[in-house]
Amino acid sequence: MAGKKVKNPHDKRRITKRRVSEWVHGYLFILPWIVGVCIFFVYAMVQSLRFSFSNIVFSNGITFNPLPNAWDNYASVFMKEINFPVTLANFGLGLVLQMPIIIAFSLIIALMLNGKIHAKSLFRMIFFLPVIIATGPVMQQLTAQGVSTVPMVSANTLTNVLSGLPEFIAAPINDLFSSLILILWNSGIQILIFLAGLQKVPSTLYEAAKIDGASGWESFWKITLPVMRSMILLNAIYTVVTLATGGDNEIIQLIYTVSYAATKGYSYGAAMSWIYTAVVAVILLLVFLLLREKSDKHVKYETKRIVQKGRRWQA
Amino acid sequence: MAINGNKVNPKKFHKNQIPFYLYLIPIAIFMGAPIVYIINHAFKPMDELFAFPPRFFVSNPSFINFQNLFQTAAGSSIPISRYIFNSFVVTVAVVLLSILISTMAGFALSKMKFRLKNTIFEVNNLALMFVATAVTIPRYLTINTVGILDTYWAHILPLIAMPVCLFLIKQFMDQVPDSLLEAAQLEGAGSFRIYWKVILPLTKPAIATGAILAFQSVWTNVETSNLFTSSESIRTLSFYMNTLSGVGTVQGQGMAAAAALIMFIPNLLLFVVMQSSVMNTMAYSGMK
Repeated sequence: MAGKKVKNPHDKRRITKRRVSEWVHGYLFILPWIVGVCIFFVYAMVQSLRFSFSNIVFSNGITFNPLPNAWDNYASVFMKEINFPVTLANFGLGLVLQMPIIIAFSLIIALMLNGKIHAKSLFRMIFFLPVIIATGPVMQQLTAQGVSTVPMVSANTLTNVLSGLPEFIAAPINDLFSSLILILWNSGIQILIFLAGLQKVPSTLYEAAKIDGASGWESFWKITLPVMRSMILLNAIYTVVTLATGGDNEIIQLIYTVSYAATKGYSYGAAMSWIYTAVVAVILLLVFLLLREKSDKHVKYETKRIVQKGRRWQA
Repeated sequence: MAINGNKVNPKKFHKNQIPFYLYLIPIAIFMGAPIVYIINHAFKPMDELFAFPPRFFVSNPSFINFQNLFQTAAGSSIPISRYIFNSFVVTVAVVLLSILISTMAGFALSKMKFRLKNTIFEVNNLALMFVATAVTIPRYLTINTVGILDTYWAHILPLIAMPVCLFLIKQFMDQVPDSLLEAAQLEGAGSFRIYWKVILPLTKPAIATGAILAFQSVWTNVETSNLFTSSESIRTLSFYMNTLSGVGTVQGQGMAAAAALIMFIPNLLLFVVMQSSVMNTMAYSGMK
């Protein structure tokens, strides 16, 4: 649009009365949110960033003691905390392994729950219920008692199977199996989101496909998956975020202990959490790039082709 | 046919359904296990609680844990009803306000055009993945500065802005077709009317999901009581339950189990109420 010299009434840069009123309404609607986020997130995050670049002391308020080198806290996270880089790498790998499993599992369950079955609402409830107890002390008790592991696969067999692989790959896979049930328990929200998405797919599409001779398998790949694409992206991001910020993950625990330890202190913990956030952000970015909708380009290309075809016909 | 969306529960049982049950029932048993466990655990007498190897089901159910819990509660200086009242006020306020704020912001971000829109959404996404531990002390400082330390607001305000909620709701609102809004606009509806009459009814499932998430985050929250309040009379039920079970005595274990069941019941009720109104709304909402 920028290249055109002719004045276009739909030009986005033109300021009209209507556009101004839309802006005003937009800001009005989002104002409470902005205020809340600025006070409790943005300000707090900026503060923690400041913390991470200084050595803070709490007595009669806070004193920011400058560090000899601004990046000292960050450097010492990598230099002194021997476990941190390894834990972080393992965590990232585990996340990348768990996320597709949760997505696939919840999509399958959602498809089943969306079908014609008896006692559907009962099943829906059961699949969502673990979510509402997944937080809190109950879960810790359960894990401690070994309810969350798969009893069918003993740890030994698994270790034998995996022994051919290098340690850094085998460990996350082992973890994955030992927490498989836990993973399934965490997929309630995802199932709910998929169900809501599935119910929006018009049934006429499937009927048309059936008439054209498509099997259930084909219509799953050609209709359900493309329509659900945005939901899959949504669920993938949601899953990564909940796994990454859940209270029971190793890194959060580490950050917590480090932050309140007398020897290391809060600024050290702040530096660690910023590193962690950066890693999670990179994972999220990858997920987004992988799953985002590319249909825009595709549609443009298709319309261009059709238009060209039409021109050829006219000529 | 697995995929035939809009028809809810078929009238008759059909043998086509059997394969689905073969998959669903075993998984459902796994998924249902924690609930069964919580209920069983709360009714275990002392010897079963500490039995080794631990047992899943209770064999001699008793109310001893609940009795201990209520006795201890009766002995404390502040009646338990006070904690329940506090929790109730805080929970209702947080759920209502956070849903209102998230839906309004979601509507603006999804359907309106204005400057800095994308920047705002990016900020939300950054907040989404930030570690909560790293912001607790700055938050404490903020709350101290605003002067709401030791009030209900100290429980409510830090939890109102839920980035996850906004993200879910905004993403759902993107699915509402623009043509519907344009039609409403042509009929003369203003932004607020569109928000109230079109957007909200159409995104009910997302709103309910958000409400459940918000409820959970506030109902089980111990942090705000711990950090932002100092007088006992303003603290919440979850904090109280936590202190009771954290006494470290042998009885504490049993009381923790009973407390877990008590804390879990409102969650269950909320979900039962929500799910009937939520699950099937999409099918009839006129969205294609």
